[in-house]
Amino acid sequence: MSAATDEPALERYPAHLHAGYRTATRRLRVSAVDEAAPDVRHLTLVDPDGAPLAPHEPGAHLVLAVGPDVRNAYSLTGDGFLPRTYEISVLLKRAEDGGTGGSARVHALCVGDEVEVEGPRSSFAPRHDQRHTLLLAAGIGITPVLSHARAVARWGGTAEVVYSYRPGRAAHLEELRSLAEHPAITLREVSGAAATAALLAERLADQPLGSHAYACGPPAFLDAYVEAAERACWPASRVHLERFSAPELDPGVAFTAVLADGERLGVAPGTSLLEALLAHGRPVANLCRQGVCGECVVPVRAGEVEHRDLVLSDGERAAGDRMLSCVSRGAHEGAVIEVEV
Amino acid sequence: MSTAAQRVEPAFPVRGHTARLPWPFPDDLDAFRYSVNVEPARVVRRTAAGSWGAHIVDLGGEEYGAIMAERRRILDVDPHRTRLMPGMGPACWDLLVYYLRDLAISYPHVMELTEDGDAFHWRNHALGTDQRFVVGDASTLPYDPLTFLGREIPDDLLLVKERDGHLCFDAGLVTFAAAWSVAFDVGMTMTEIHNPVPRLTREGVTSRAEQFLRRLPVDQVYRRVNWTLSASGSRRLDVSLEELPEWGADIPRLVRDQDWGRLQLRIEVEHFVRLPMTGAVTFNIRTHMTSLEEVRQIPAWRRQLAAVVLELPDDLAAYKGFLDYREPAMAWLTEPDRARPTHDTHPTHGQEVPA
Repeated sequence: MSAATDEPALERYPAHLHAGYRTATRRLRVSAVDEAAPDVRHLTLVDPDGAPLAPHEPGAHLVLAVGPDVRNAYSLTGDGFLPRTYEISVLLKRAEDGGTGGSARVHALCVGDEVEVEGPRSSFAPRHDQRHTLLLAAGIGITPVLSHARAVARWGGTAEVVYSYRPGRAAHLEELRSLAEHPAITLREVSGAAATAALLAERLADQPLGSHAYACGPPAFLDAYVEAAERACWPASRVHLERFSAPELDPGVAFTAVLADGERLGVAPGTSLLEALLAHGRPVANLCRQGVCGECVVPVRAGEVEHRDLVLSDGERAAGDRMLSCVSRGAHEGAVIEVEV
Repeated sequence: MSTAAQRVEPAFPVRGHTARLPWPFPDDLDAFRYSVNVEPARVVRRTAAGSWGAHIVDLGGEEYGAIMAERRRILDVDPHRTRLMPGMGPACWDLLVYYLRDLAISYPHVMELTEDGDAFHWRNHALGTDQRFVVGDASTLPYDPLTFLGREIPDDLLLVKERDGHLCFDAGLVTFAAAWSVAFDVGMTMTEIHNPVPRLTREGVTSRAEQFLRRLPVDQVYRRVNWTLSASGSRRLDVSLEELPEWGADIPRLVRDQDWGRLQLRIEVEHFVRLPMTGAVTFNIRTHMTSLEEVRQIPAWRRQLAAVVLELPDDLAAYKGFLDYREPAMAWLTEPDRARPTHDTHPTHGQEVPA
């Protein structure tokens, strides 16, 4: 009966005809490897056939397949304007610091090697109508901030950059200093936790109306940033941040997920809904598994959810129609959540 | 030497107006309600009269030149048809680059684009455009990038971007609006723009459409078809509020004269692309017109259009503007079916009947 409704297509075309819009999984070639700072490797990637690469928003990241079943996201340092190269800077995270070998594999890449990538993906984009930009970075958090600063310089806005680093270990300091020769870009450098917190407070209290602020760095830095912004009475909608690691989460309570076809799935403490779904043969796209990237969002039809992610806004949480399956759970012991999976 | 050698191949084969028309209804539809009726773009669809939909931009075949002359005339007399909210400059470049690249691949026999880094060279042989420019440098183009693109393709160009949790119509070049004004609407949220449409917001269509656009992935392109009966009794595409004095008396005159064949079915094909450099989403609209006289030539179309128009609840018919005259107009449209009900199967038509 439905034959007439599902009118057969004569031909199917790809979504984008031009090669410069490819974002699906593909291989790029390493064309240069540099030391951006001690333990920070700067990689330049190009299309093996010389095709232009997909443009991206400032603050976007590229996903690299760094090992079997391991995919890490790295911020792109370029401004995303008609790129011919993608550039990332990767800090070596040693096993004794909780590293799992991903960054070491990136550090092992040589010129000429090919690596599987996906994206770029945008998750830390600037507001298009910002009248001024305050950019704040600590340590390797400089990578998306550099991308933002370059875009501001290209498109003619104004920006102030605050860069907190350990002396002798600052990646991209020279690029930032030369950007700051541009009259629209100001750079402030700082070292040490106390001095950094003081500078954050001072600069957040002294920005023109219409500014948006963007910060990237370790959790302590971001906490100081959010606190300073709050004290300076910034509206939350103008305070943007990107985390590269999430706080430790407790194992949570046991709850039940009712799936789209009515099947009931028990989720034990210490197991995430995502893991339970995957183990049950229900594919759910996922990436960071830390509640940071937003990839594993699932629609929720009913049930009370304890949101433990760092992605959804207060408004989205209040709507109650979605959750990040990697970290969020039933709100209480024995809770039942209906999900559209 | 010979006239054949001098003959210039036409840029576009003549297919005829109805053959390329994006008929807005699925075959078995006889009752229309607003919905989020999106589908993947670049899928060719067959209709009772031909086919459409291979490309994101439908240049209009042999009608391309005439449409573009009208577009350029309007832009020349009324530059306010291009409106940008602050900060939308990069998104307009993003749009221009995406569309020129796409056009050169879709229509290689008339359009060419060469790139050398940021230096582009665009040639449109159908309109005689030959322009070198540097992407991002407005001084290298004769118009702003949105207007430059708008003078090359028939689509109305609309860009939406998220601000404070709302999708906002923050840039547009619109010369063929159906009784709205780009200068009035630019900067509004999707909800504000669609509030006047009956049922749309109350029944959640607006918020579902907004969710769809907000989640539109960078690796997919979608389209949607919308329709109405035009507020003008001619092929005129520009029935914007700006030109209301020019067309406002058309329909009352047409109704008075019972001149139903001049009524126009207005079909809008919208394309949604997430532009990767800025995250702006296109809501580009390509408008097609066909007269009831033309629709009447195709039995499947005239029956379906009459059924859909007559079934429509009063509030929607009033919003679309034809509540007052839909019955006599649709009676005229389907008159051939009633007058000659067995025409198609008459066994002895034109033959001698043996005595």
